[in-house]
Amino acid sequence: MNPVNSAILDPTVGWGILAAFSVLWVWLGWFWGRRAKELDDYVLAGRRVGLALGTATAMATWVTSNTTMAAPQLAYQMGIWGMLGYSLGSVGLILFAPLARRIRALMPGGFTSGDFIRLRYGKTAWRVFLAISLFYGLGWLISLGMAGGILINALTGIDYRLGMSVILAICVLYTMLGGLRAVIGTDFIQTLLILFGIIVLAWLAIDAVGFERMHEAVVEERPELLNLLMPAAIMFLFNNLLFGVGEIFHSNVWWSRAFAFDKGVGFKAYLTAGIFWMPIPVVAGFIALAAPALDLNVPAPDMVGPLVAANLLGVGGAILVFIVVFSALASSLDSLLAATSDLVLQDIYRGHLQPQATAEELRRAARWVVVGLGLVAWLLCLPRLTSLAALLHFTGAFVASTIWPIAAGLYWRSTNPTGAMAAMLLGTAIGLAAYFLIGFYVAALVSALVSMCIVLASTWLAPRDFDWSSLNERRY
Amino acid sequence: MTVSVNFLATMVSIALAVTLVSPFILLILWFRDWRKGRLW
Repeated sequence: MNPVNSAILDPTVGWGILAAFSVLWVWLGWFWGRRAKELDDYVLAGRRVGLALGTATAMATWVTSNTTMAAPQLAYQMGIWGMLGYSLGSVGLILFAPLARRIRALMPGGFTSGDFIRLRYGKTAWRVFLAISLFYGLGWLISLGMAGGILINALTGIDYRLGMSVILAICVLYTMLGGLRAVIGTDFIQTLLILFGIIVLAWLAIDAVGFERMHEAVVEERPELLNLLMPAAIMFLFNNLLFGVGEIFHSNVWWSRAFAFDKGVGFKAYLTAGIFWMPIPVVAGFIALAAPALDLNVPAPDMVGPLVAANLLGVGGAILVFIVVFSALASSLDSLLAATSDLVLQDIYRGHLQPQATAEELRRAARWVVVGLGLVAWLLCLPRLTSLAALLHFTGAFVASTIWPIAAGLYWRSTNPTGAMAAMLLGTAIGLAAYFLIGFYVAALVSALVSMCIVLASTWLAPRDFDWSSLNERRY
Repeated sequence: MTVSVNFLATMVSIALAVTLVSPFILLILWFRDWRKGRLW
């Protein structure tokens, strides 16, 4: 099927929506960022973010285009378990709640997740962690950039490369102008837009097709989607849980928020965000089960969500999907750009290249790092290499290996650097082997299991007495 | 073991209900933070 011929929206409408939201996000980015003169203000929003903005930014960042586009895709491929498995991504947010509180208490002046690994486990483990974290960050950035291009192409027929370039450029611009304050402020508005959009879409899908017809058509054409004993899907459920936990525990996206939230906010914000996030993949995903009832020709599974919405709701539905996914994309892209650029700035630029850099120099460099990162992501998004879910799950083996080194490192004095490093390296290697030999749905599971065994064994065999106060580093 | 239409409807309805409530709670939290001058 030719996407241009099948596009529901006129390209002019697509450009109009893009232009309107671009102006709004960029203006807000400038407005909120204009007073951010200090490094703390720019990269950590002054470290005083309240509960409302804290909860919304955690939700919006975790509701990515991968949720709004891949949730229907997974429902279409794995049925009930696909949706429920994706919902378990919220466990990561909920489990991170106590960690956020502990991170804020142990490292009141911290900047990045890399700071923790360096101070807790030393420089070699820090470099291994940076390689994993930056690889994951880039992988996520690429999947988001690609999702933007695919969505715009599917709905409006605008060329994939052009759409992807515009979305990336907008997010880079307002993140560069406003830093984390712009990211968190726009996240609040984007959360409300996403929630409103998926509620309306789900409501109208139920009204137009109904559960009876949906169920009947799926039982007739693809009964495996409603089978509670679908083995690959059950593996996916556990795999996705660990993948989500790994993503959140290690990524600077979540650590930077733990540092940015006001005292006492982190725990409540992550817990509330996790509870509110849990039903979103079901609400966004179940509409894919309407595809058999509608007798839709789905050319690629990652387009099933927009296609069902557009088929059911016509131009209005296509506009709504466009706004929802654009908001979801922007809310995650900006967070990822800001957090990954912090990691590059603090851990690569200052940590390896310019150790004597002052806060003022870093403040100036921060903007250029955001631009550079956007440029790298753009170059890697140009060829549409793989499907969204495949790219996303490839990184599962990497991130799941960090769960135990981080959790144990935050709570146990006795966990040692060699064990933490071996857990990350071997967990990733064996998780990748499982990805290629068995399937994407076991990569994170195997990686986390190997990492856990190594951390537990090494902590028991060679305990170390770590001094928690050495994590309280004051740099500037 | 195929899930029934009731199971599917209940699962989606519960998810929809929680999603429906969440924006209102976020707005209430925002108003409370704003009144106390603790937005950020």
